[in-house]
Amino acid sequence: MEKQFDSAQDAEVSAEVSREELRSVMTALEPDQLISTKDHHHCPRRQLTRTEMVLFWALRIYLVFMVGVVVYQIWTGVR
Amino acid sequence: MREPKTASQPREVTVTRSVALNNQLLDGRPASGADVVITHEDIDRAHDREQVSATRARRGFRPRLRLFWLLIGPGILVMLGENDGPSMLSYAATGARFGVGFFVPFIVLTFAMACVVQEMTVRLGAATHRGHAELIFDRFGPFWGWFSMIDLMIGNFLTLVTEFIAIRAGLGFFGVRPAVAVFGALLVLSVALMTHRYWTWERIILGAAVFNLVFVPVALLTHPHWGAVGRALVTWKPLPGGLTQETVLILLADIGATVTPWMLFFQQSAIADKGLTTRDIRFGRMDTALGAVLATVAALATILATTPLFTHHMAAANFEAAEFAQALQPFVGHWGAALFALGMFEAGMVAAITISTSSAYAFGEVARRPHSLNLPFRQGRSFYLVLLIEAVAAAGLVLIPGIPLVYIVLLVNVIAVLAMPPALLFLYMLVNDREIMGSLVSPRWANVLALGVVVILIGAGLLFGVSVIAPKALAIFGG
Repeated sequence: MEKQFDSAQDAEVSAEVSREELRSVMTALEPDQLISTKDHHHCPRRQLTRTEMVLFWALRIYLVFMVGVVVYQIWTGVR
Repeated sequence: MREPKTASQPREVTVTRSVALNNQLLDGRPASGADVVITHEDIDRAHDREQVSATRARRGFRPRLRLFWLLIGPGILVMLGENDGPSMLSYAATGARFGVGFFVPFIVLTFAMACVVQEMTVRLGAATHRGHAELIFDRFGPFWGWFSMIDLMIGNFLTLVTEFIAIRAGLGFFGVRPAVAVFGALLVLSVALMTHRYWTWERIILGAAVFNLVFVPVALLTHPHWGAVGRALVTWKPLPGGLTQETVLILLADIGATVTPWMLFFQQSAIADKGLTTRDIRFGRMDTALGAVLATVAALATILATTPLFTHHMAAANFEAAEFAQALQPFVGHWGAALFALGMFEAGMVAAITISTSSAYAFGEVARRPHSLNLPFRQGRSFYLVLLIEAVAAAGLVLIPGIPLVYIVLLVNVIAVLAMPPALLFLYMLVNDREIMGSLVSPRWANVLALGVVVILIGAGLLFGVSVIAPKALAIFGG
């Protein structure tokens, strides 16, 4: 059965998901593959250790510094 | 995955009435509440997964082959997608400047590095069913999440600009005007999206990506010295001119041609969109490895194809993509040159599609908007608009006359290498996170390889820094 899923409004008045589709979704997808599950359940935030924080900042500083080097190279190249 | 604690705002799009996903409903009894909403995206994905399950249940060689066919895609797309305009131009510049030597085994090494990195995204995507940007925001918070998004978006946009440069240059060989080439590419990109089906989109782009191998016949037309290729693979020599500033720039450009942040975001999101599960990880690995092999072949073929320019001492510093093709004409004939130009167009076209898709996935994951190639336009409006707006903006920039193309292209790859270590740290921590990965956390050997990749990338970045700030200091490294 071809369904039109044009908008949320349409959806409210459209027929329910067919039994075949429902069965298909239930059997073929893992529970946390469902969009609504993913929308409502998110991975909890983790606490960064001091070492991890240092690593994050070190790599961020490295990136900023190296981008500066690239800008310098472009500047010298233009000159 | 462990039971989560947080809840986000609901998605804007609800495509069907809320339906309780429980046995009551399947038994024909009325649902007691709006527990779960089934979306169009779920139904499409479920249909794809049903085919996988049905094929997996059958025994024999043909069903296994069919299963492989059903499950491949993201790995090949990401690897051949990364053989994009700037990458092919980097390889072409490598062949023209250095010929067959150090860079032949070096390219093989970079693709091995890409394999190590991308395998982690396969596991992460299959275990969590979530995109890379979403996981970074959830696990590390918005502060670090935004850093990672800014890196990705800037890198993606710059790379997209270079894809349209390649498209313009490749079609320029055939006399197509820049504006026509660029608008034609935008049209192709839009048509591919109109399928509104991940599976169909993936197959179309896979079909186009295979044309990356047109560099192979071009290489064969130059009659490569296979003995020299074999010697180079074993000895990593010669490196004409030694370690100079130019060598370091090409070195970084070639690394940036194989490992870049957008690949992490794209493959993980594509695996979630395709619906791969932990049972499919083995096929995901095979998909990635096959993609790496195909991409390595295309990359090496490009180096071999432009080696005659090195052998005949033709300066390649100012060659743009189409000019490479014209310069090669005396060695490979008109058809060979035409194939080379066509290859440049294809490389830019496929990458323009995959890279803009990776941006759209990341945006949707972070903004909590629907993000899937299974979505009809009205439901995935923000997803498709981000994708198209980014592509149109990049295409528009390319039409500005007088842009130093080759220089921009090489620098884009360099920036990609520099942005990679922070991106890899996120990936490394996520893939070793037992709370979300369970038993699929990286084994020790995989961690050693991943850290090896990080060390090589940081080392190459620092070498580039030295070559720019204090070129004479390269002598310390044998330059």
